[in-house]
Amino acid sequence: MTYRLAPIDKRPFAAEREDDFTVIGSVVQRSDARGHVTGRTEFFEDVAPPGLLHLKMHRSARHHARIRGVDLTAALAVPGVTRILTHADIPNNLYTPLKLIGVGPDDEPILAVDKVRYLGEPICAVVAESEAAALEGAARVRVDYEDLPAVFDVEEALAEGAPLVNEYHGQNFFKYEGHHCRRIRFGDVEKAFGQADHVFEWRYESAPIEQAPTETTGCVVVPQADGRLRIHSDTQACFFTLDNTALILEVPFNRLRIVGGTVGGGFGGKVDVTVEPVACVAAMVTDRPVKFVYDRDEEMQVSSPRAAERIYIKDAVMDDGRIIGRKVTLYVDSGAYARHTPYGTTKAAAHLPGPYSIPNVWADCHCVFTNRTPSSAMRGFGVTIGDFALESQMDRVARALSMDPLRLRLLNAYRDGDLKAHRKVAEGTALVEVIQKTAELVGHELPEAYRRMSSTTREGL
Amino acid sequence: MIQAVHLPESPEAAAVHSARGGWIMGGGTVVMPLVNSGAAIRNELVSLRRAGLAGIEVRDGVARIGAAAPLSSVKEHPGLGFLRPALRTIASPTIRNLATVGGNLFVAQPYGDLAVCLLALGATCEITGPGGRREAPVADVLASGVAEGEFVTAVVAALPEPGTWYYHKAMRRRLNSASIVTVASVTHTADGVVTSTRTALGGVAPRPVRAVSAERLMRGRPLSPEVLTEAGQAARADTAPFDDAYASAWYRSRVLPVHLRRAFIG
Amino acid sequence: MPSQIVSLVVNGEPREFIARPGTTLLTILRESLGLTAAKRGCAQGSCGTCTVLVDDRPATACLVAVETVADHSVRTLEGVASDGNLDEVQSSFVDNFATQCGFCTAGMIMVAEALLDRDPDPSEEDVIEAISGNVCRCTGYRPIVIAILDAARRRREAGVEPGRPAEEAVSR
Repeated sequence: MTYRLAPIDKRPFAAEREDDFTVIGSVVQRSDARGHVTGRTEFFEDVAPPGLLHLKMHRSARHHARIRGVDLTAALAVPGVTRILTHADIPNNLYTPLKLIGVGPDDEPILAVDKVRYLGEPICAVVAESEAAALEGAARVRVDYEDLPAVFDVEEALAEGAPLVNEYHGQNFFKYEGHHCRRIRFGDVEKAFGQADHVFEWRYESAPIEQAPTETTGCVVVPQADGRLRIHSDTQACFFTLDNTALILEVPFNRLRIVGGTVGGGFGGKVDVTVEPVACVAAMVTDRPVKFVYDRDEEMQVSSPRAAERIYIKDAVMDDGRIIGRKVTLYVDSGAYARHTPYGTTKAAAHLPGPYSIPNVWADCHCVFTNRTPSSAMRGFGVTIGDFALESQMDRVARALSMDPLRLRLLNAYRDGDLKAHRKVAEGTALVEVIQKTAELVGHELPEAYRRMSSTTREGL
Repeated sequence: MIQAVHLPESPEAAAVHSARGGWIMGGGTVVMPLVNSGAAIRNELVSLRRAGLAGIEVRDGVARIGAAAPLSSVKEHPGLGFLRPALRTIASPTIRNLATVGGNLFVAQPYGDLAVCLLALGATCEITGPGGRREAPVADVLASGVAEGEFVTAVVAALPEPGTWYYHKAMRRRLNSASIVTVASVTHTADGVVTSTRTALGGVAPRPVRAVSAERLMRGRPLSPEVLTEAGQAARADTAPFDDAYASAWYRSRVLPVHLRRAFIG
Repeated sequence: MPSQIVSLVVNGEPREFIARPGTTLLTILRESLGLTAAKRGCAQGSCGTCTVLVDDRPATACLVAVETVADHSVRTLEGVASDGNLDEVQSSFVDNFATQCGFCTAGMIMVAEALLDRDPDPSEEDVIEAISGNVCRCTGYRPIVIAILDAARRRREAGVEPGRPAEEAVSR
């Protein structure tokens, strides 16, 4: 075996930990590896029920438009096309991901009704005997659009007179308990700016990021003899998918059974429930198995990416490196619908101002609607881009002060017992020790005083 | 939807299907993605896999490469060693097992680096079609394609003399990535100055192009950083760069002189 | 042209099936022959998850119209292990944690099989080039490269000659 077993450093927090690790520090074979290397692991698309129908979506060719009419004549004439579903076929034509965690509103149709709000929004689902026929049918659907002005930038979307993206909300932002954004108010940042030796303000920005799993999003739905639907899916969230699908189908949860858990890469991109509800409706109306799987273009274009963010960070800094105030204005691009981005924006707010004890913090975190692909979950969504911005900010502050960036962080790192901006007392912080260990591993010299710092004491501050 | 896949066993038989509107397919690396996504523009495919066009002959300083020869065969051919580094920059070994020399002439930039090489080599295409057989410079085929019903059966090129072949491709990854700028050239020097040059560029226009403005500035002058930078700047006049997922038009144009220089003097 | 009967030699066994014009080798393997190890990741030759060996060379099965390889030999991951015994590449992938979600694994292993059959002692650079058409989104490639190099070492130590079918290697 050629992999490296990193030794565990058991020195920090020795008193707080029992050294009874049974897995950490040992080699544990993956339980699924044998299936993978023999090709016997069953992914959702590896099932081949007899009589399988194929579903392909006709999607919006516009970023923002009113639908004047949909003509299915040519599509229905394609040999092999058995059925075309529109919004009228979906029992409860609303995708309601946040309902399950008590957050509304229900702002996204399963199939577009009278308007499309992003390029690639699903309009109608063509069900056919073969994949080729379904593709041909989907290509022959004709939609008559009335173009509407579109908005693609978060700050433009919030400006006076911007086109309204989503009527469900009535404005281009998500309302948090009556507020126009998620806010943090702690101390008095303006006073801190007045007292600071330096004030630094920079802007950070990210594009949407597609998770790009090698297996695209999809499912195979098989009607069972007892009337239930068996859903083979590559969802990352089996029960979430089951609950949401049942809400959309308006059937009891026990009418559905999910077969899942094997995911060909997800990275957050397979959390939204985008294929199962329509495929289930198709299976119900035809009483035959139906497969709906994104092609690569769809995966890239319409599966929800990590949200684009724009972040302004303004810091009040003293000569010795202490940050005494931090003001953050964050815009998260939700795309045309909410999905998980209002939640992601809350996560972003919870993550500010980074793992540092700053006595004055002000943050406005806006969840903004634009005519872009709805964004959603991806690996630490809501915090990853913020971390990029916060840590870039720390490096730039250090550079501006001609200071070692690790010492700047050690000086400002939160310690156990500190009151965070959210008025929670920090515990189990360990940041100081992690920085010290990192410095040691990369050969970055720290003065004795910084090496003696601890997250459990205030030594050196 | 595809209604037929023909497997003619000779170029003449392929010509019959082609003349009836069949879609000529080499390795399928361009045609099959369109078939798979339902975007095929024709409903009959004509595979050249069995048409006897996969041979490679190198004799008396001239290479004759069948249009259906896979790129991996070109890469492995002992007589075409000078092309090996270029072939290594094209797609992956797996795709090179499928993709063909003929097909490479017809792919959209920023793909088709072998076509850039063939342009620099001044290759000739052998073409079969309803009107029989003809030959045409590869430059003409790259610029305006072939007539309806015609297809390329082989490319013929003189091997460059030792020390006269130059190739460099800038890409986002070290392997298996499309071109940002590709430079291929046959350039002769004597007493330290360029006596002749045929330099082709990829990645910077919808089709591979000759860098005629650069060639003009290089002739009679040494392959020095100054001359090559000047030539590279002049070469912008020969290009029509585009934006894509790999690079912006601005970037391609901006780095063109750098990569022209690197092609010759590293 | 109607559907036609096509035959292939798959993992050493002659197989016959009915194919609609333009059906890919991948679809035939998966849907007609029940060999689902090769996966559809992109259907455009970009991801390598459908890689199988056609005449012992890696090919993306999604780009091959099956009629064009009629009567040729095709090798898939299902044909690599024999009597339930993993070959060196497979066991090396397991031991070196070269799998995560498993979706790219079939393609990676088939590319490795072809590489090691032709070159028993590849350099790290050779391995990287060989898998350059195979996308892995989970492991970051490093464990895969290590696993292939380790598999080469195991084969050399076991005295497996290049080009020899893996089954013989396992039975030693």
